[in-house]
Amino acid sequence: MSILEVIGISKSFNGVKAVNDVSFKIESGQIHGILGPNGAGKTTTIRMIMNILAPDSGIIKLFNQSMDDKLKYKIGYLPEERGLYQKMKVKELIYFLAEMHRMDLFRAKEKCEYWLDKMQLSVKADSKIEELSKGMQQKIQIITTIIHEPELIILDEPFSGLDPVNVNLVKNVMVELKEQNKAIMLSTHMMDAAEKLCDEVIMINNGIKILDGNLERIRKQHGKRSIQLEFEGDGKFIKSSPMIKKYDYYGSYAEVQLNETYTANDLLKSLLDKVQIIQMRSQSSSLNEIFIELAEGGSRS
Amino acid sequence: MKEIWTIIKREYRESVYKKSFIVLTLLTPLLMIAIGILPTLFFGFEEEKPVRVNIIDESNVVFDNMAKVLSDTLKNGSRKFILKKVSVPADLDSIIKDQRILIDEDKTDGLLYIPASILDSNKVDYYTKNVANFNLNYRVKEAVEKIVRNHRIYKSGLDPEYITKLTQSLELRTYKVIKGGEQQERGFGEEYFGTFIFVLILYMTLIFNGTSIMRSIILEKSTRIVEVLLSTTSAFRMMAGKILGQGFVGLTQYVIWAIFGITLVVYGNRVLPISNEYLNFAPSIFIYFVVFYVLGYFVYAILFSAIGAMVNTDQEGQQLAFPVIMLLVVPIMILGLVVINPDSTIVTTISLIPFFSPIIMFARINLSSPGVMEIGSSIALLIITIIFLIWLVSKIYRVGILMYGKRPNLPEIIKWMRIR
Repeated sequence: MSILEVIGISKSFNGVKAVNDVSFKIESGQIHGILGPNGAGKTTTIRMIMNILAPDSGIIKLFNQSMDDKLKYKIGYLPEERGLYQKMKVKELIYFLAEMHRMDLFRAKEKCEYWLDKMQLSVKADSKIEELSKGMQQKIQIITTIIHEPELIILDEPFSGLDPVNVNLVKNVMVELKEQNKAIMLSTHMMDAAEKLCDEVIMINNGIKILDGNLERIRKQHGKRSIQLEFEGDGKFIKSSPMIKKYDYYGSYAEVQLNETYTANDLLKSLLDKVQIIQMRSQSSSLNEIFIELAEGGSRS
Repeated sequence: MKEIWTIIKREYRESVYKKSFIVLTLLTPLLMIAIGILPTLFFGFEEEKPVRVNIIDESNVVFDNMAKVLSDTLKNGSRKFILKKVSVPADLDSIIKDQRILIDEDKTDGLLYIPASILDSNKVDYYTKNVANFNLNYRVKEAVEKIVRNHRIYKSGLDPEYITKLTQSLELRTYKVIKGGEQQERGFGEEYFGTFIFVLILYMTLIFNGTSIMRSIILEKSTRIVEVLLSTTSAFRMMAGKILGQGFVGLTQYVIWAIFGITLVVYGNRVLPISNEYLNFAPSIFIYFVVFYVLGYFVYAILFSAIGAMVNTDQEGQQLAFPVIMLLVVPIMILGLVVINPDSTIVTTISLIPFFSPIIMFARINLSSPGVMEIGSSIALLIITIIFLIWLVSKIYRVGILMYGKRPNLPEIIKWMRIR
């Protein structure tokens, strides 16, 4: 059973379609990336899932029930626009948001202690939020998102504004939660971060879903392996080889794409006795490149 | 629903532990007493200094009797008015000029010129620096008047004392008739000041608690905590929690004041050094005080919440708050009218308008005894207005709290209301 099921949701603002007929499913034990440039409709989609905005059409189901304010407490949501009550003490604020998620105080205290310890903030438990550094406040924000042990965690641009130490920390937390079989939804425009973390990706552009599926499969389907060659000698003969799909020749430098059945090793073997190889690099296209290609292809058609 | 309660608790704790709450709660009862006592003190206060008056008496009637009539004494027993006769000069203008210089140099306080024609013309001139000293001027006028009157009576062959006895003025004692036909002895002063204390507190607390909701919403917007809260509950519950939370804060204050007030009314005259005429309220007035505060609070808190949701900064908020505050200033401005005639058609009408009724209907209850129907319908109208405002403002609030940047104009706000 899917944790979250989004079926054909659309939303317009002043006649402009911000989200157009988007559907996907979120399963437990996986990190799902919602990817797309700024303004693609990611935050609007998430706000509809959170019942902050009502969709113009479409259905959102959480744990097989129609989404409702009463189900909000089962989700841990880190919004892109986030902040904390500056005048409250760390502990009080965490208890408050835990209570808002219907967690009983005893359990909240226990979990609060665990997370503060893990984030190395135990000494700050009685400090006011405003006395904390920006980085510490970000850690507190993450604790308040996951303290109530939600089954579904939605993180909207969790890395924006974080220092590298905290970025790493968030990544570790995500992996830990994934191992606890939670469903995680990561919305970001940073494709390289998503590439390392996500099991599944959903790509959105101009409010339309352009791609959805397992990351490895997407790489195989849409990604290309390109090989960059630098050599001495006449490289014209390579073009006529049956291994080659695409060949760009610049005299002593060439970019090669191979047909699927061949590997870089096959190419290397065929070159060894004909040219002097100076450098050879094999690279698979990044999610970013796949996205750009799909987005451009989408706008052309 | 549990979330509303959680928000109420948070708001309540945050406000009640603030210094401003403690200060305001403790200072207001002191203000109540101060406003009760100060008028008595001010009216009873007069400068302890003799007044030197030079008199030019062309009529030869007034001066000789003046000392007898103006026999007021200071606290130390010496005479208040030191009178000195200036002989009637040949050149009147130049002597008056000299006297004016003496007044300017503080050698004397005033010059009274009584012309020979006083018995026919009824005109007397008094030169002094401070013509606005109502009490003093009145005293001088009264004295001359009495002497001239007695002289006329005497000349016509009658006995002045006998005439005075016949034409004695009388005193109008006013009694306020309250519920059940009971009476209380009260006058304009007591009524006005008594009502004014309550109205002032209503006015101040409605503005204070209303604007503090507005500021707290603006702060939540600017610290970007709004969406964090929306991830746990709906915008409507968030608004309800805030308004109720701040409402309980105000209610706490009012209950403290009401207890204080009732204690003062019941036991006040035993401990306070003032007559209890300013504290002469029925204890039930404190219950109306709390009821009308609570209803007024909801009307204004909801209006201020809408403003908070629409704007991004305190400055913008203050601009938009101005018309709302004006709605509260109107009842203060017409309070005099209400005190003079609390049951006139216009006052009765205004006391039913929900934006004014918390103050005006309350004032009327304190001043006269409006019927149960009138009180009931003003309360009913307030409740209907509150329900309507909740419906209207919750639509504005829901969209507004997630909007950053430019302040919306009216067409945009109407568009917000149509958003599902």
